[in-house]
Amino acid sequence: MTAADQKPRSLKNASVNLRDLTILIADPGTFMRRVVYGMLRGFGANRILEAGDAAGVLSALMQQKVDILILDAKLPPQDGLAVTQAIRRNVDNENRTLPILIMTSDAQQLTIREARDSGASMVVAKPMSPTTLYDRLVWIAFDRRQFIDCPTYFGPDRRFKIEGYPTGVGRRASDKSIEVSDATEPNLEQDDIDSLFQAARAGQNE
Amino acid sequence: MKNKLPPNVRVFAVKTRFQEMAQRPGGVPRDIAIQQAETGIESFKTEFVDWVGRELQDLTQALRKVEGDQAEKAQIDEIHQRCRQLRDTGTTMGLALLTFIADNLCRVLEAVQSGASYDTEVIECHINALFLAKQDAYRNIRPDQVPEMTSGLHRMLERANRSLPDKTG
Repeated sequence: MTAADQKPRSLKNASVNLRDLTILIADPGTFMRRVVYGMLRGFGANRILEAGDAAGVLSALMQQKVDILILDAKLPPQDGLAVTQAIRRNVDNENRTLPILIMTSDAQQLTIREARDSGASMVVAKPMSPTTLYDRLVWIAFDRRQFIDCPTYFGPDRRFKIEGYPTGVGRRASDKSIEVSDATEPNLEQDDIDSLFQAARAGQNE
Repeated sequence: MKNKLPPNVRVFAVKTRFQEMAQRPGGVPRDIAIQQAETGIESFKTEFVDWVGRELQDLTQALRKVEGDQAEKAQIDEIHQRCRQLRDTGTTMGLALLTFIADNLCRVLEAVQSGASYDTEVIECHINALFLAKQDAYRNIRPDQVPEMTSGLHRMLERANRSLPDKTG
């Protein structure tokens, strides 16, 4: 059994070992890159690359094996989501399944959905704290989602929302373990419930 | 019953090198890692203030390129990008007032991008406030400690939003 096969009981206090992993930070802001660099160094990372635009990202990916890409959603000239899509859709790219963490200042539902549809592994809202970034990295490290390859999409399975965020990662103590949406239909009347049970019991007795 | 996949859909497991390596024992424990990162960020503060100074100069230069009230999309995009950077890094670096002003200016620029008129006075007012917030005396001040400034900037934002084209008609 390898270390990667060991699943921690809870990710709340899980640690990640970033030593010797090549991490590429791509953000147009020099100081934002500096901040993320500083955080990663604090986490123990020792191989950190930087890029300020899409060309820099693609060039870095061609020159070496990158282990994780931390990418701004608004990376010029198009945007980080287009870069994500380009990485995922290129069948000749050995970095095709690379974990991609999208940073966005605009954490609206539409942006999150677009990031997910582009093939991002995870999204983190800016401004971010060291705790948030660390938790996202833990999440990606222990993420067991499969990849989907179909004519319209290549990337991590997008149907993970139903399971919620892994226990303990980035959640508030007051959060529910499962998000419950509003009722879309009227509740059943007691008579309806009784008749359903009667039918079920009748079925059992047959 | 298990759903049958269409023939052109492939589902497969991926164990990336990141996952293999990140789960190795011997990493920096979570609490220490976060603490080290926070200490690292704290040490950037002086550097950050210098960077903000340079960014504000660049922002001023970018604004000078806008002739009168006729801003081109590319110019607004550039100014907006610089503002976003100020806002995003400002929060992480703990400069609350600067972050508030940059955020307000981002909202003004978003209104302009949505069709509101480009009002030089509104933009300049924010830039002056940013220069003020960068100064030593204002660096550790929260927005609620300068209510006149914050309400003034809110009014500026409302002014920008009022000039948005009416989409109901």
